[in-house]
Amino acid sequence: MASNAVISPNLTQMLHKHYARNQRWGFMWALWTAILWGAWYVPGTALWSEHPYVDIAADQQSLRLAATAVMTWVHAITVFIFLLLWNMVLGKVKDYGRTMVRFSKISKWYALASLCGGPLAIFGSYMAMGFVGPVFAAISSLFYPVIGAIIARLWYKEKISKRAAIGMCIIIFGGMVIYGPSLFGEMDATNPNAWLGYVGGIMSAIGWGTEGAVAGRAMDVSDPDVGIHCRFSFEILFWGLLILPFLATFTDLPIKSLIIDTVTHSKAMLWIVLAAACHAYCYTAFYKSFSLIGVGRGEAIGNLYAVFALIFIAAFTLQLPQWYFILGLILTVAGSFVMFSEPAESVAQLRDNEPALEGV
Amino acid sequence: MKLHQKGFLLVELSKAPSMWDYQLLEKVFAEYEQHNDFREKTLRIALDELSAAGLIKCIENKLDTVNGKSKLLFNYQLSDFGITRMVDTGLLLA
Repeated sequence: MASNAVISPNLTQMLHKHYARNQRWGFMWALWTAILWGAWYVPGTALWSEHPYVDIAADQQSLRLAATAVMTWVHAITVFIFLLLWNMVLGKVKDYGRTMVRFSKISKWYALASLCGGPLAIFGSYMAMGFVGPVFAAISSLFYPVIGAIIARLWYKEKISKRAAIGMCIIIFGGMVIYGPSLFGEMDATNPNAWLGYVGGIMSAIGWGTEGAVAGRAMDVSDPDVGIHCRFSFEILFWGLLILPFLATFTDLPIKSLIIDTVTHSKAMLWIVLAAACHAYCYTAFYKSFSLIGVGRGEAIGNLYAVFALIFIAAFTLQLPQWYFILGLILTVAGSFVMFSEPAESVAQLRDNEPALEGV
Repeated sequence: MKLHQKGFLLVELSKAPSMWDYQLLEKVFAEYEQHNDFREKTLRIALDELSAAGLIKCIENKLDTVNGKSKLLFNYQLSDFGITRMVDTGLLLA
């Protein structure tokens, strides 16, 4: 990479080691994202079996959506506490304050990322689940890395090599193989509200894809551990100061009693705490991977959550996945290896705004 | 209020034509009164992130020996893209 000097073989070797280590860390963070995201589905799903959520009938869509909003807000507050703990251990709490106060120039991007990831993506995903089905919701979310990679490419010229693009496609295809066959049992042509589910599916893919690219912009000049803390701070404010008060004031939905019932029921809170622990560190790993391997690669490896979710659900429910899961697993793992086999020096410079590294 | 540390690294780099990583780290240690191995590793990762994102570029490398072990050192320079991004984010006046 040094452009002006003769590089000794020892120096070249050390440089290669340095970039390979960064690449390995980037992929490792992305893999942790997938593992913890997959684990999150266990407490996230179990929460619906507890009071007050278990008492809401499946056909009470507006109440279910209101309950989802309450659940997401309480969850975001718990995630915030876990992130505070994380940044206290890392000694970055002061940096969190220093970043938050620069709202007009820096932390506003985290506020926008929280809107994309929270109310747009999570809400959209629940719409897809409620109006079409969970399989459709899972499949539509699989496409978020494509959106993220395209936005990152167009907006700040993130490099997507041919190998990274092929790996990304294989991972998405693997995810479709895992969930696809169940989709046929879920589609119902007679359902007049299905379009709401399709809109929700598009919202989740756009929301999560955009979140990575928007957050990536703020992380150019700020720390990823601090960035994710800022992002959840804003999500708490959006739900707690805007969306929930709006629903409580202008609708007759029982927002207040849903909040009280959630926080006073220990089993519901236990699942929320477990889900928040997974989500807090899943998101931390997600943001940390963006800085080292880029938004497109980080999101594509994060897509392995499809595999881990099924493994964790099988472990806890003792329901073995179908045979085609193995095929999907092989494809997603193969896709990950294709991405990981990129030269480390190529991943060391993620954007096209400077000349390429020497020798790459 | 002090700048966040990644912002401080960029601002310090903008004041000189180029700077070695250890010189930058010394400035951070002095400004934030923190100096330990963990902090040093965290800051080196921050420099790697800035370099990967294209805000700074490495113009020279060298090997140093510390306690009998080879250590890789980087001489960084702010890139044109880095200057643009600093102006965008209020770290540098246009």
